[in-house]
Amino acid sequence: MSDFHSPYLTYDVLDKWDSPSWNEQTRGVVRQRLEQVPPRRFLSADQWSLLEAIASRLVPQPDREEPVPIAPWIDDMLHHNHTPGYRYADMPPMREAWRQGLNAIAAETRNRHGKAFEELSPDDQDELLSDVQNNRVESRYWGDLPAGGFFLHHLLKQVVGVYYSHPDAWSEIGYGGPASPRGYARLGPDERDPWEAEELHFEAADA
Amino acid sequence: MLAPRQPEPSQRPLIAVAAATLATAAGVGWLLQRAWKPKGDTNHRAAEALGAGAAILCVSVALDSAIEHYRGGFKDRAMFVGPTMALLGLGAATYIAFRPERANDRAPKIALLTVGATGLIGLGFHAYNILKRPGELDALNLFYGAPAGAPAALTLAGLYGVIAGEMLSSRAYVRTRLPKHAAGLIAFSLLGTVAEAGFLHFRGAFQDPAMYAPVTIPPLAAVAVGGAALTARAIPIAEPLLKATAVLGIAGPIFHAYGIHRNMGGWRNWSQMILQGPPLPAPPAFLGIAAAGLGILPLLNQEAK
Repeated sequence: MSDFHSPYLTYDVLDKWDSPSWNEQTRGVVRQRLEQVPPRRFLSADQWSLLEAIASRLVPQPDREEPVPIAPWIDDMLHHNHTPGYRYADMPPMREAWRQGLNAIAAETRNRHGKAFEELSPDDQDELLSDVQNNRVESRYWGDLPAGGFFLHHLLKQVVGVYYSHPDAWSEIGYGGPASPRGYARLGPDERDPWEAEELHFEAADA
Repeated sequence: MLAPRQPEPSQRPLIAVAAATLATAAGVGWLLQRAWKPKGDTNHRAAEALGAGAAILCVSVALDSAIEHYRGGFKDRAMFVGPTMALLGLGAATYIAFRPERANDRAPKIALLTVGATGLIGLGFHAYNILKRPGELDALNLFYGAPAGAPAALTLAGLYGVIAGEMLSSRAYVRTRLPKHAAGLIAFSLLGTVAEAGFLHFRGAFQDPAMYAPVTIPPLAAVAVGGAALTARAIPIAEPLLKATAVLGIAGPIFHAYGIHRNMGGWRNWSQMILQGPPLPAPPAFLGIAAAGLGILPLLNQEAK
């Protein structure tokens, strides 16, 4: 991993909490994300810990004391069966796809390394995920589920989606949260409203 | 999961607000008229009114351009020129409104000519701003680029001031052509302002029926003033229409304040809505033009006799 530095070092989106930028609806939604992290209800304990290990490879958070929780929200989505409203033609329905896909990754790992995914070195984990992404897998573990399709459309999209739903991730990328009630008045390229995050460049620090 | 059907928003508050706003504006207008005590002969009074009209135009331009150019982050240094020149024009025009006999002095005259020329240059800058955007001369850029006609208000203010000075010169055309030409300029000013307001109210989809007001009454006033330049019989029609236009110029900021309230977040979200909601300082331009027009009308009458 190359070193990543957010250019929004001084920015915390939660400073907007009581500002005109946010209203009660916005605060309610964000409060829930911060304070009511759901418990495990759908996935098995093994599937859950596997998902956490995968998520920390897809979106590593080494510099965070409290990482953005990802597995709980995917489990919550599966528990409520909150599908996007469609399913992929070549894949089983959402819940089934997740069960099948996580079990297949676990089996694939055990077959190759003789141990669980969580016990592998980060490099081995990345290599295995890369094989899953590129369909270099044994079909007996996957059945009718396309490995690459599961990786891209379910695993990667959900992990990244959940990560960037969290205020910590918003602060990192200088995002202001929902543009409601206060939106943006200066919409042109390289224009910035005073209530937007300010990009700071520390070129001297890089040298 | 269907959301429960929302009831149609009631139009009733709009009617109440419109009635209260117009009543307030008419009251303020009446008070202003009572407080307006021009002195001297008809020409002197006309010069005072032209100075006052130019001053009001300059206030409107100074505030509006300051807010809008702040929104643009004063990206181009030239964006400081508009508000600064409007302040200079305000000073000169106010001086003329109180001391019309000094309108031909060198300092106010140079100031007004400079302000007027700045308006013309501003038109060029705004045209460049519109045309440099992708799509060039299309509706989107006309709607959201620099306002094409706005800087012309400075030119009008400069012209009003210069005309005020001419009114008190002893040149022959003061008794013949000048009042007619001034009335024609007032008609043109009104139509230009109507075009700008109409264009932006169209952008706002005339979502409050009160937004039709500035595209109905001022055009009629423009026609009547133009007519008054040709025949004195139009003067009794032009006067009430100009007064109604003046009332709209006072009512405008109140309507616009209500418009900000109706926007997302309302006045609590003022930091966005002062910029993105209806422009508070723009409508008094109508008051300024109407005031100048009302000052000129008696001259047209005098001439007919």
